[in-house]
Amino acid sequence: MVLWLWLPGADTGRAETLKSYDFLPQWSPQAQFAGYYVAAAKGFYERRGLALTILRGGPERPVGAQLAAGLVDFGTLFLTEGLVLRDQGIPLVNVGQLVQRSALMLVAHKERGIRTPEDLNGRRVSVWEAFQLQPRAFFLRHELDVTVVPQGNNVNLFLMGGVDATSAMWYNEYYTILNAGIDTDEITTFRLADHGLNFPEDGIYCREETLQRDPAAVRAFVQGSIDGWRYAFDNPEEAIEIVMTHIQAANLPTNRVHQRWMLARMADIIRPAGHHRPMGTLTDSDLRFVAEQLHHSGILHTQPDYLEFHDPRPSTR
Amino acid sequence: MECTSRKMDKAVVIQVTGRMDAVTAPDFDAACGAWIDQGETRLVVDLTALDYISSAGLRSFLVVGKRLKGSGGTLALSGLDGMVREVFDLSGFAALFPVHPCPETALEALG
Amino acid sequence: MTRAPRPDKQRGLAFRLALFILTSTTLIFLAAFGYNYYCSRHVVLKNVRESAMHLAQATVLRIESKLRAVEAPPRMTARHLEGRPLSNALLLPLIHDMVAGSPEIYGGAAAFEPHGFDPEHRFYAPYFFHAEGGRIAFNQLGSEAYNYFLRDWYQIPRELDRPAWSEPYFDEGGGGILMSTFAHPFYDLSADQRVFRGVVTADISLEALVTEIGAIALYETGYAFVISRNGAFLAHPDEQLIMRESIFSVAADRQMPELRAIGREMIRGGTGFAAVTSVHTGKRSLLAYAPVPAADWSVGVMIPERELLADIRALNHTVLAIAAAGFTLLFLVVVAISRSITRPLHRLVAATTEIARGNLEIKLPTTHIGDEVQVLTHSVDEMRLALKEYIANLTETTKAKERIESELKIARAIQMNFLPKRFPPFPEQTAFDLFAALEPAKEVGGDLYDFFMLDARHLFFSVGDVSDKGVPAALFMAVTKTLMKGIAEQGLTPADVLDRVNVELCQGNDAAMFVTVVCGMLDITTGELVYSNAGHNPPVLLRAGGAPEMLPVSPGLVLGVMEEATYATSTIRLTPGDRLLLYTDGVTEAMDAGQRLFSDERLLGEMAGLAAAEPRRMVERIMAAVHAHAGGTPQSDDITLLALQYKGNAESF
Repeated sequence: MVLWLWLPGADTGRAETLKSYDFLPQWSPQAQFAGYYVAAAKGFYERRGLALTILRGGPERPVGAQLAAGLVDFGTLFLTEGLVLRDQGIPLVNVGQLVQRSALMLVAHKERGIRTPEDLNGRRVSVWEAFQLQPRAFFLRHELDVTVVPQGNNVNLFLMGGVDATSAMWYNEYYTILNAGIDTDEITTFRLADHGLNFPEDGIYCREETLQRDPAAVRAFVQGSIDGWRYAFDNPEEAIEIVMTHIQAANLPTNRVHQRWMLARMADIIRPAGHHRPMGTLTDSDLRFVAEQLHHSGILHTQPDYLEFHDPRPSTR
Repeated sequence: MECTSRKMDKAVVIQVTGRMDAVTAPDFDAACGAWIDQGETRLVVDLTALDYISSAGLRSFLVVGKRLKGSGGTLALSGLDGMVREVFDLSGFAALFPVHPCPETALEALG
Repeated sequence: MTRAPRPDKQRGLAFRLALFILTSTTLIFLAAFGYNYYCSRHVVLKNVRESAMHLAQATVLRIESKLRAVEAPPRMTARHLEGRPLSNALLLPLIHDMVAGSPEIYGGAAAFEPHGFDPEHRFYAPYFFHAEGGRIAFNQLGSEAYNYFLRDWYQIPRELDRPAWSEPYFDEGGGGILMSTFAHPFYDLSADQRVFRGVVTADISLEALVTEIGAIALYETGYAFVISRNGAFLAHPDEQLIMRESIFSVAADRQMPELRAIGREMIRGGTGFAAVTSVHTGKRSLLAYAPVPAADWSVGVMIPERELLADIRALNHTVLAIAAAGFTLLFLVVVAISRSITRPLHRLVAATTEIARGNLEIKLPTTHIGDEVQVLTHSVDEMRLALKEYIANLTETTKAKERIESELKIARAIQMNFLPKRFPPFPEQTAFDLFAALEPAKEVGGDLYDFFMLDARHLFFSVGDVSDKGVPAALFMAVTKTLMKGIAEQGLTPADVLDRVNVELCQGNDAAMFVTVVCGMLDITTGELVYSNAGHNPPVLLRAGGAPEMLPVSPGLVLGVMEEATYATSTIRLTPGDRLLLYTDGVTEAMDAGQRLFSDERLLGEMAGLAAAEPRRMVERIMAAVHAHAGGTPQSDDITLLALQYKGNAESF
């Protein structure tokens, strides 16, 4: 630990003057948050002067509400969530957009004759309430009359044949379906990002007030997290090991092979092929596209100001 | 040499064919001896088919002749011709035994 | 003498016998052992498969009965709720009694559609459960944080329009107990159509089942497991796998596509067997699986193949040990037998080696077993005796042969010693020249020649041939010659000489031997030749300047046959240069390989070419011609030649 202090370019900070901050991921421990767990485990936050606590996320602790209430300092949210919360007047700022590419997809039973988007017409499709915007836009775009069934936290309804298609995250539920014994040639998938509906997902948010009060701490968190992701992608097995310790501590019903898949897909959506933006960047066009989609659906009442919504400084190297 | 014997009423006719020399003469001795042992006393030896005779052959005639003479019998010759005749004449043997042109005449002569 | 090869112990009969017997026995044993192993393995596997399947079925039955027992109360309750107006007063005791009356049920609820029971409240789901201390506790489910409408136990029966067991889950409130919920939908049947109102649920704790099944032990490391319809492990001896791993995640992690295929077969309700490497034990195992129809689960029973076959392996080890002992015994027996066979053989070999060295007196080993060795020994002994006899005979024959040869030598010596051999015989004589030669056959033929001066004017010469061979002929020849000389010297004519000699020879000639002789007396001053012949070949006369011709001779009986025989004398006059050749039938009757005679004609022909030859040369040339005619054919009779050349200048004498 002492060694870090003398490393050139390291942010200043001393052990005794570490600033305490906490971070709430928007879901229970899994490789979706590998970068943060790795950064914490490898001391990347500490090295930047932060004593960071990663809180246990989950459906019972919605990040937006926790941030709004000032119960946590940092959290991750989908871009859509961030925009909606900001639209609702909650002063949250996007300080780093990690996931550039949407992992949201629709998975359909091929045996029920679903091969093209048009085949979904008249079908029952389960959709997460929180992430229904993209699927609905997809249905609209293809002029599909779809029966939307609210979707719980898993894909069991789909697996039991209760719906023709289901929402799934590429890094999570899609793999759950495969590991429930469904072969890839038995399903048809629609990656919404591939259908002109790329809504960037996980981004780091904090309150405006936090950013104004201690921009250095915010920057330290974002930079530390980027370091963590980078390290996790370079050392996936070590990263999985770290993630698994959190999973085991939380006694979650998941497994290593699933987390390995998830981390690999996180790499695909955080650093998509042919995408050379620095990590943490939110482009104006992505923000504009998502905001317009939300506005069009009547979800957003105002158009966000790019610079007010997103502060690029903490993620800039 | 080959000896073929035929027993006739009056005598035994022995026809000798081939060559009669020191090697083959004992066969002639044996053939004649066998008849003599059976009590035959009159032998007619037909030499028509004999090609050659040596002094050993002559000696056989002498021995057989002597045995027959001793028992009151007769050795007659027939068919003497060519070289054989020359040898018999030269050696004087032709004078030792009755000589006939053929076995039939020999048998006739035996009465 | 070559040494008899000593039988190499390593490659001897005993070794080969042992090798062949043990090899064939081993092959037979291996075939029988292999077949036995194959069959018993087949039987064992069949039995094990059956018992594994029985176990799987039994486990299925246990789970199934437990699940079915839990299904019944909510089904009845749901039916009870249909078709009547509902109130708290009616509903709560009903749920309470359902839970209280079924110890299998951990907790139960009636969960209603949003605002379905009470329009005021979005959620309505009274929940009774077995709390600690045996009491029944109550809880009202449903809140913004716990939106049961999206829970599997509520949503799946609703959407599928049928009762369903939920995918097992860890109970969030109950301290991480593994639970599964059976939910039965109930409907409002009062309207024209059936309208979904909610579900009646019954929770079951799977803890006991998990423990029970997880504790099933088969053989040493065999085990049972249960997977859910998603392939997730519900029961497994490795608790870390429960609800964390599915058979598919394990297959993906270990890259075992065959395991994934088996998992798919299992969750589709298949019954069967599979050979698979257990991830839990790392052993090649037999998997028997059968479905739990109530909840679409599947039970698997995994038995390592090694352990399945442990008994048969133990049996095999015993069989192999017995076989090893048996082979050792067999080996010893074979060695003993072959030793017993080869020992007399070795002794026999030693004896025959001794025989081969020439010791024919050796006593052969005696065997009393009446086997082939005894027969062989007997044969060898017979051979030994035959050899002995043969050698004795051979010795005798050799002796006889030697005796004959020595007799022949004696005969030849007699013959040759009696012949004049000095040439020229009368060096001072100029009136004639004479040369004679005699080549005895291997068996002396009894030829003779002689010449001597009777007085200063008269030369007596003769050539003869005794009818027999060997020593008797030689002796007869000696007698004849001696008689001839003695009688001739009395001054008689050749015919008288022959008369007298004949009489002498006939005396006591029991062997019927006879001799042919031609003899002559030459007056060297006048050339008058008086000669006589006793059955001999006529001499060849070669007059000077003339052609050779046979000297005419008067017939005369051979000497020694008949006392009364008389001999005639012939006379001719030789002129100087005339030549005379006397010979025996060894010349004219010399045969070539084709039994063709040299013949009188040939002799005359040869003589024609020798008109000017000296007697020696004449004799040598004729001798050479006879040899050339005979080629390699052995000489069967003596060959005698006597040549005389009259020169006739006796006046100077």
